Amino acid sequence: MNRSDTALDLVSGLALAGAAAAMLVRPRHVTAIARSPLIPMTSRLASGASRGLLRRLAPPPRPRGARKLARLISGYGASRTVVQTAGRRLNGSAGLLAFSVLADSAVEHYRGSFQNRAMYTPLVAATLTLGASVFGMADKRAARHPVRDTVYGAAAATGLAGLGFHAYNILKRPSHLSWLNLFYAAPIGAPMALALAGLLGRGAEKVRDTPYRRRASIFGLSAGRMLAGVSAAGLAGTVGEAGLLHFRGAFHNPFMVAPVTLPPLAAVLLSAAAAFPGRAINHLARWWLRLTAVLGFAGVGFHAYGVSRAMGGWRNWSQNVVDGPPLPAPPSFTGLALAGLAALALIEEERNG
Amino acid sequence: MADRYPGYDVLNKRNSMSWNDQTRAVIDRRMAIDPGKHEFFTAEEWPTLCAICARIVPQPAGRAVPAPVAAMVDEKLSANNGDGYRDARLPPMRDAWRRALAAIDEEAKSRYGRRFHELGGLLQDDLLTAIQNGDVLGKAWRDLPAKLFFQKRLLHDIVSSYYAHPTAWSEIGFGGPASPRGYVRMNFDRRDPWEAAETKPGDEEKARRENARVG
Repeated sequence: MNRSDTALDLVSGLALAGAAAAMLVRPRHVTAIARSPLIPMTSRLASGASRGLLRRLAPPPRPRGARKLARLISGYGASRTVVQTAGRRLNGSAGLLAFSVLADSAVEHYRGSFQNRAMYTPLVAATLTLGASVFGMADKRAARHPVRDTVYGAAAATGLAGLGFHAYNILKRPSHLSWLNLFYAAPIGAPMALALAGLLGRGAEKVRDTPYRRRASIFGLSAGRMLAGVSAAGLAGTVGEAGLLHFRGAFHNPFMVAPVTLPPLAAVLLSAAAAFPGRAINHLARWWLRLTAVLGFAGVGFHAYGVSRAMGGWRNWSQNVVDGPPLPAPPSFTGLALAGLAALALIEEERNG
Repeated sequence: MADRYPGYDVLNKRNSMSWNDQTRAVIDRRMAIDPGKHEFFTAEEWPTLCAICARIVPQPAGRAVPAPVAAMVDEKLSANNGDGYRDARLPPMRDAWRRALAAIDEEAKSRYGRRFHELGGLLQDDLLTAIQNGDVLGKAWRDLPAKLFFQKRLLHDIVSSYYAHPTAWSEIGFGGPASPRGYVRMNFDRRDPWEAAETKPGDEEKARRENARVG
């Protein structure tokens, strides 16, 4: 969306609110204005003037073939840019998720003393995914790249395998599937972030690979809607993870409620925009996703504060960074929100184009 | 006995995050105890107490700073810092120690003709075992239950003094107070980088390397 659109939305929103307020406070004045003969007269004047202006401003007629060509070029030029940008934005969100996974799994698996050799795997996979994503963002060429595709695929597979490892870690402990183990054993939701990075990366490559003048699609379905679904599901999963661990922390700080209230709404709005795209719902979803993206970064600040509040504070970082609130965890909300925004752009493109 | 925590010295933590000013002050005071200082025990009683301590918590000869166990017991008694509880069958802490040390010496004299600290290690052990079992003959015990004194007073005061000393902490791989720095890795057989590394047979060098980093 460009700036004038935003400004228009703001102005029309204010105007609507003003009109509604006027109707509530001074209903008689509103009816008087509506009945006034000025209203039809101004509208007639306006339409007449605009018709006159248009006639005057209309470009000189061109040969039919040339006009067709111009429309074709402009149309495909625009759509090409949106799709390409969306692809690269998806690469970026996969990269941000991969960064979050890299930092988080490095800290948490160091805490677990790399007891199992497999605990190095997410570090390798996330590093490769991060590299592939940076490459994807820098790559000006539209097409997909086999290396990126392979890395993303491997990341998704690693994430799913990690889910199995973490489930095994929970179930092998005494009392097996209990709240205690869900709280303190390997976090069940964490490997899904890597799987999501892989999935979003694959989506990015698929979107980049969209042929000229074709809609971006995955398995024959709309890529925008599909990726919106993936982002919404990812947001919901991350909310579950944050909810579980913030519940463990007894929501002792009121801001701990934020990641279980704002992102779920973003997921719902994004799903709604994917299912029933419309100007208003897309608009709302976009702003809510932006809010969620900001929240992801703010979360790092809150977690840094949490570390400072633990015994010994930052001076005791070697204990508190490992044992306190995880610094790299909240940006996964940002990564998913950015993916949702890219998906939304694709949905809009489909709707308009 | 082989060193289970080779190269580990809990005092290396002194200036790290593991200790705070309060801990430093307390431990410095404890490290500065003069092993020969006794305020509560008389010159008569002192060698007896030292001999008992050496049998209950014997320390290897080559220690740089042996735990001054007898002086720590004396400090506890001269300050009269009780435990907050007492077996009612025993007299108060100070009375119990005074009477018991006299009775132990009398027991040694009546059995072997010498004072306790003058006996050899095996005879000292025999006598302490007799007290532990309550097999005492001396009149000096009177109504002081020897067995109970051994259990609740002698062992308690000597052993808790020994294990309050950093030398004993280094021996058993204890990290000192868990505040301000606590523990992160709570599972079995896991250690935080600021905890002592226990050696496995044949792997002493690895533990020594890790213990050099503990701080």
